[in-house]
Amino acid sequence: MARILIILLALSAAAAPAWADSVIVLNSEDASYSIIDRASRTELQRLPLGREAHHLTRTPDGKELLLASTATNELVSLDTRTLKRVRVVRDIVDPYQLGYSPDGKWFVTAANRLDHVDIYRADNLVLAARLFVDSVPSHLAFDVRSTTVFVSLQNSGRLIAVDLARQTVKWSTDVGKAPAGVVALPDGKRLLVALTGEQSIVTVDAESGAVTGRLETGKAAHNFRALGDGRHYFLSNRIESTISLIDTQDMKVEASVRVPGGPDDMDITPDGKELWVTQRFLRRVAIVDIAKMNLIDTVRVGKSPHGLAILDTAPGAGVPNAEKAGAASAPRLN
Amino acid sequence: MNALTEIWIAVQAWLFETFVSPVLFHFGLMGWFDEAFDAVEFFMLGVLQILVIAFLMRPVEALWPLEATSDNRSVAVDRVYTILNKLGAIPLVVFAAAYPITNWIELQLREWRLSPPRIENLLPWTHDHAFVSFLIYFAIYDLAAYGIHRAQHRFSWWWALHSLHHSQRRVTAWTDDRNHILDNLLVTLVLAVFSQIVGVQPADYVSILVVGRLIESWSHANVDIAFGRPLRWLLVSPRFHRLHHAMAGPAEAHIHDHNFAAVLPVWDVLFGTALYDRQLRPTGVPAPEIDADNGRGWFSQQVAGIRRLSTALFPFLATSR
Repeated sequence: MARILIILLALSAAAAPAWADSVIVLNSEDASYSIIDRASRTELQRLPLGREAHHLTRTPDGKELLLASTATNELVSLDTRTLKRVRVVRDIVDPYQLGYSPDGKWFVTAANRLDHVDIYRADNLVLAARLFVDSVPSHLAFDVRSTTVFVSLQNSGRLIAVDLARQTVKWSTDVGKAPAGVVALPDGKRLLVALTGEQSIVTVDAESGAVTGRLETGKAAHNFRALGDGRHYFLSNRIESTISLIDTQDMKVEASVRVPGGPDDMDITPDGKELWVTQRFLRRVAIVDIAKMNLIDTVRVGKSPHGLAILDTAPGAGVPNAEKAGAASAPRLN
Repeated sequence: MNALTEIWIAVQAWLFETFVSPVLFHFGLMGWFDEAFDAVEFFMLGVLQILVIAFLMRPVEALWPLEATSDNRSVAVDRVYTILNKLGAIPLVVFAAAYPITNWIELQLREWRLSPPRIENLLPWTHDHAFVSFLIYFAIYDLAAYGIHRAQHRFSWWWALHSLHHSQRRVTAWTDDRNHILDNLLVTLVLAVFSQIVGVQPADYVSILVVGRLIESWSHANVDIAFGRPLRWLLVSPRFHRLHHAMAGPAEAHIHDHNFAAVLPVWDVLFGTALYDRQLRPTGVPAPEIDADNGRGWFSQQVAGIRRLSTALFPFLATSR
């Protein structure tokens, strides 16, 4: 009898989905996404997804994860607890980068191929404005007050600030070669912009758009992820194949770890111990021990993995990890 | 298989990081970063195909030749075509020429929110059967290749270019890539439009490209291999395709207007262009100006192709010469 019970228990455990500690990775050249079990560091499933899916974001209530398929103009929504498809939002044109303003009122996309920034009302995803830009909008970030979205323009080397309420460009500034990742620091005054065509990041005054500083990091500085203490940010350097830990108070590179294969998007586990990084060229996701700043493991996924999100189904899930950790408003950028 | 995949990925990453990405970075071409990485894989696949042709197909041709041939200059020219194509030189030129048009088409369709349905959406059960969806896409693209090939023979101006492929009297496994560069460009443009309708680019399925191209090279091999039923409807054999290269004569003026299929002969069967027989015919084109390609090198053949195209488009040029 005991043996039967053990078998039944084992079977029920095996049947229960292990979604609670999952990581979602978008395989941009495979038209698929991977579901990884975080504990065992294994890919559980690889499922089809539109075409050229690059980035993803949570809805403000944290209940849905929106996977953006650029070539099919759609957002595929997953329930963050069950990972089942909830809905498909169509007619979101070329949603390369996407994000909600911190107050949850606006939803903004950067159409990388079609050269426009779209501002939607977040509650119904109705397009409020389309701003054509010059050119190749790459990454975006919101200010803490949700009044402005900052968008890097990869081809023209510029950063623009768009007033969300008026839906007009407030300023446009030359920042350097091939700007990509951008973050608005919690002080509300400074922006960081990664220059993929150079080996540095620049600081920009959020109000005026003036470039105020520069920090050498690594070749093809590309994307940021907040550590969660309001001060430190991880930066991926795609050609250098390193991750730099930037101290934004003293503006210095505090530590660095080699992550081969063109590291790109990053996310942090809810316990703050691990940094997960997509390795675009190696079809893998790397796991970095944050305390020791060393690479501890990799997980096989699909071709050209790009955006990723670590799910946290504990109470309070949906709030970006960085905010839970105490940052005033660390934007979640993938 | 996993070990081979790991090696493949590692080599691609090493080549890219060692040779390509520093160049892109230096010349400010980071906007092409991802495309360049894909190009490295294209190059590697090309090397692989060349090795398969040289060390598998050619020895088989030497052992069981259908026609006794020597590795003469004409075959060497085909080898040049193959190397230029498989290693990416000609595709790069074609890509550069076609990109403004193909990009415009793609972006326009996106802007119009025309998003073709994917097979996986029409047939949801294929979600979990990637190999099935691969076979469906493979068949769709093979049908497109069949249609394009019919057009290459149907329109005199396109035949003026495509006849270069048919002019070879010594058809071997190297012959598949013997095409005029403008012919390549036209095919690329047609496929770019077609891919927007289908919703999948050929490059989305690298396996489509590689499997298809290897079978096409094999179908040109100078070996006496034909298939019986039912395989002869499912896979092009060297004898099946050799008939397509047969030189037209007074009794068979349109013999080369048969067996158009690239990989799946079922299209020829369905559209009435299949011809199965065992008669051995010489290959080539009887027109003296086209047949003269056999004495030309790569560049001269390209020039001759442009001359033939000009004459086809503007017949008065022929009389004025």
